[in-house]
Amino acid sequence: MRKEISIYVHIPFCEHKCAYCAFNSFCATQQEKENYLKLLCGEIAEKSKQFSNKYVVKTIYIGGGTPSVLSCEQISEVVRAIYDNFDVYDNAEFTIEANPHSISEEKLKCWKSLRVNRVSVGVQTLSDKNLSKIGRLHTSKMAIEKIKLVRKYFANVSCDLLVGLEGEDGKTLCKHAKQLLELGIKHISCYFLEIYQNTPIFDMIQNKKYLPLGDEEQVAAFNKLANYLKDAGLERYEISNFAYPQFESKHNSNYWARGEYVGFGLSAHSFLNGKRFWNADNIDDYKNGVTTSEELSLTEEDEEKIMLGLRCNLGVDVKSLKKIDLNKNPYFQDYLKQGILTQEGGLVKLNPMFYQMSNTIISNLFEDK
Amino acid sequence: MKDLSHIRNFCIIAHIDHGKSTLADRLIELTGTVSKRDMQEQILDSMELEREKGITIKLAPTRLVYEYNGEEYILNLIDTPGHVDFTYEVSRSLTACEGAILLVDASQGVEAQTLANTYLALDNNLEIVPVINKIDLPSARIEDAKNEIEEVIGLDADDCPCISAKEGTNVDQVLRAIVEKIPSPIGDDEKPLKALIFDSHYDNFKGAICLIRVFDGTVKAGDQILMLQTGKTFEVTEVGIFVPNTKQTEILSAGEVGYVAASIKTISDVKVGDTITLTENPAKEALAGYKEIQPVVFCGIFTVDGAKYNDLKDALEKLKLNDASLQFSPEVSSALGFGFRCGFLGLLHLEIITERLEREFDLDIITTAPSVSYHVYKTNGEMLEVSNPSNLPPQVEISRIEEPIVSTSIYTPPEYVGAIMELCQDKRGEYKDMQYLDKKRVELKYILPLGEIIYDFFDSLKSRTKGYASFDYEFAGFMPAELVKVDLLLNGEKCDALSLIVHKDKAYNRGRELTERLKKIIPRQLFEVPIQACIGSKIIARETISAMRKDVLAKCYGGDITRKRKLLEKQKEGKKRMRKIGSVEIPSEAFMSILKLDQDK
Repeated sequence: MRKEISIYVHIPFCEHKCAYCAFNSFCATQQEKENYLKLLCGEIAEKSKQFSNKYVVKTIYIGGGTPSVLSCEQISEVVRAIYDNFDVYDNAEFTIEANPHSISEEKLKCWKSLRVNRVSVGVQTLSDKNLSKIGRLHTSKMAIEKIKLVRKYFANVSCDLLVGLEGEDGKTLCKHAKQLLELGIKHISCYFLEIYQNTPIFDMIQNKKYLPLGDEEQVAAFNKLANYLKDAGLERYEISNFAYPQFESKHNSNYWARGEYVGFGLSAHSFLNGKRFWNADNIDDYKNGVTTSEELSLTEEDEEKIMLGLRCNLGVDVKSLKKIDLNKNPYFQDYLKQGILTQEGGLVKLNPMFYQMSNTIISNLFEDK
Repeated sequence: MKDLSHIRNFCIIAHIDHGKSTLADRLIELTGTVSKRDMQEQILDSMELEREKGITIKLAPTRLVYEYNGEEYILNLIDTPGHVDFTYEVSRSLTACEGAILLVDASQGVEAQTLANTYLALDNNLEIVPVINKIDLPSARIEDAKNEIEEVIGLDADDCPCISAKEGTNVDQVLRAIVEKIPSPIGDDEKPLKALIFDSHYDNFKGAICLIRVFDGTVKAGDQILMLQTGKTFEVTEVGIFVPNTKQTEILSAGEVGYVAASIKTISDVKVGDTITLTENPAKEALAGYKEIQPVVFCGIFTVDGAKYNDLKDALEKLKLNDASLQFSPEVSSALGFGFRCGFLGLLHLEIITERLEREFDLDIITTAPSVSYHVYKTNGEMLEVSNPSNLPPQVEISRIEEPIVSTSIYTPPEYVGAIMELCQDKRGEYKDMQYLDKKRVELKYILPLGEIIYDFFDSLKSRTKGYASFDYEFAGFMPAELVKVDLLLNGEKCDALSLIVHKDKAYNRGRELTERLKKIIPRQLFEVPIQACIGSKIIARETISAMRKDVLAKCYGGDITRKRKLLEKQKEGKKRMRKIGSVEIPSEAFMSILKLDQDK
């Protein structure tokens, strides 16, 4: 029996850096891209040796950055490296992240030919004012056109939406979501706008040039959107993710279920044989194959299970915990009494009403160090 | 051969800020005891805390060698604290001396506290040498100060040294006055050893160190000593003097001040006020010790990290060694876990001890609001002493409560009399007397409940008189009062550590202040939390903390589970400073903030 595994490939390039982005992505020259892809393909070929024929790939996810900035030749080179070195199920979920601006019919055809079957589009908002303020290269019109184009080739399309942008209350968000669903989008990821220091948006906020929603408004807007999506028939299968039945992201679900995965590329993470390890996040160290790893203690494994399980609609199976005895935790007892947590047949779930406070709740269920 | 006629044992009595430590520094400098190179400001204030607060808490003895008329004199200076809380420490210093310098600030004159300590010194038959300090200040009123010394205290101040300790002016006159006016000690080396332990501290290598004044006999390394009060015997490992750091010597003889180390590992074996003698040919009678001092202010002390309970216990035991007035007994709080109910001489003492626990013993502690000890008479005739509000019996079982009262003297320039009377009125004071000491100084006498004094009396007095008034108090018994217990409910659950006993007329105000303060300091919880103050089942104040809105991690990039877990672990770590009352989390700081209620009104 072969073990199933997921593959993540990181493409750190963007056409343009977004105002809120504190992530490891950059604009690169063609030469830099070529160099990176060479390293990446080398890494895939090299690392694949340890898997030989004991593994079979169930999902592939090419993320970034913006993978759609790669040309057809470039993306083909990467995908070929995967197919050359791994056994991949015929029906494996294969996602690529794309930004409306860099999507073209040619690329869509190319992806299709590479057996990509899911596209995640970084829409973020359909408000032109916000799109320009946060430094996205597309307009709402372009986003809609490109999504239509994507839909011509792909049935399984996801969009990202940001919550907390200036002037975008729940009503606005629902309007945007409605537009997306009408275009045949099957999956929506909603994230709060997070503000990091040393980003352009941080300075804009400091200088009162940008006014994101306050915490309470953000939560109200998010909840309104969540209700809307629920009514539209999408299931909130994770804190930030909504999907029509059968359209959940299998790749991300694998992360949350603590399934095994291997990541390739800059700062990509892997989880194999109970060990987590990740590549360096700067190109020089990456070139030299620098990785960091973490052996999880039994307690830390339990903490992961609790953290990931409670963020999903599946919940956490208390029988799977090896060290942490939740019943001895006074917070756990309180949360059950207060209806913050529910327990049914050994499965503990977080009441979705409290999703937005999940950090407090989950960390209180962790072990004292 | 040591010559008693060339020894002087003396201390300095002064009000806070009148320049005692600065004078001590000058004396040390002038006699060359510490080289300029090693000199640091206020050298005898050895605790970091003392230097910071500019007050002296611990006595630090030092030996000065002074040449007078071509002969060498040994002057043992025993520094004293100046704050009202530490009268006890002062009396300890006094018994080891034959004389005292009374240091008076030329611009401030005689203060309430100075007077109290001078009386103490007179009670101990000490020769008092008045010295007027800060003559360099433009506001110096030298003649007025002299007059006050003569009129208020009744000492001749005609030819007293007028100095500026800060600038070193006339400080040599002080040294001369010490030799000329203070009598030399009387003692006999040949008599059985009688040495008074006037202080002690703990050294990790040498064990408990006794600071002693030898009255009769001699003591040296190798001697078998007997503590007359505890009956314990030890072999002396080392004797020495303070210069001001410890310096080993061969022998300590009658009249001298120094220390004895004897590998004393059990802290409680050393009692300040005990008499040391030799097991061979022991002294028949002990020296008059100190009266056991009664603490007047109480609070619970707990560790932020409950697991550090034993560390707290060790630390309190070590502090107790050189602070006999500190009392503590175990206490359990449903909110704060295991800790100690501690008794102090006053609020400053409380503050000093808690700060020392944090700094010297590296403990994170929580203290509950200070309280006094009440006499609670039950309907069944029983009397309970209650210093912990949560131990107050239910109202139906109480026939009456008596609270400790103090008689207070307040010294103030006349223009503040009105403001002070208003304050005393507000603090439920009973007016006793008012007297003009001179044109610029009035003495007001009030009987005040101690519970009001420990609340915010110091600060209010200071702010209403621009710091010009000084005050002193002494215990004056117990008086019945209409007192009630105010409880704090968080989400309907009582938080025992926040209960207070207050006068019924003040209960509403205090309750409102407390709930408002807690609202500010308690972070938002997962649900709305009402904060209520109540007397029995009657709610007297209420605030609400609205529910937390957002505390969530968004996206995890490319399967980076580790970052997410570590963030949450860090959040958990931050919770260590939180206490749980029922289902409500309170930061430890909340408890402290009750203590400092008056500060940011």
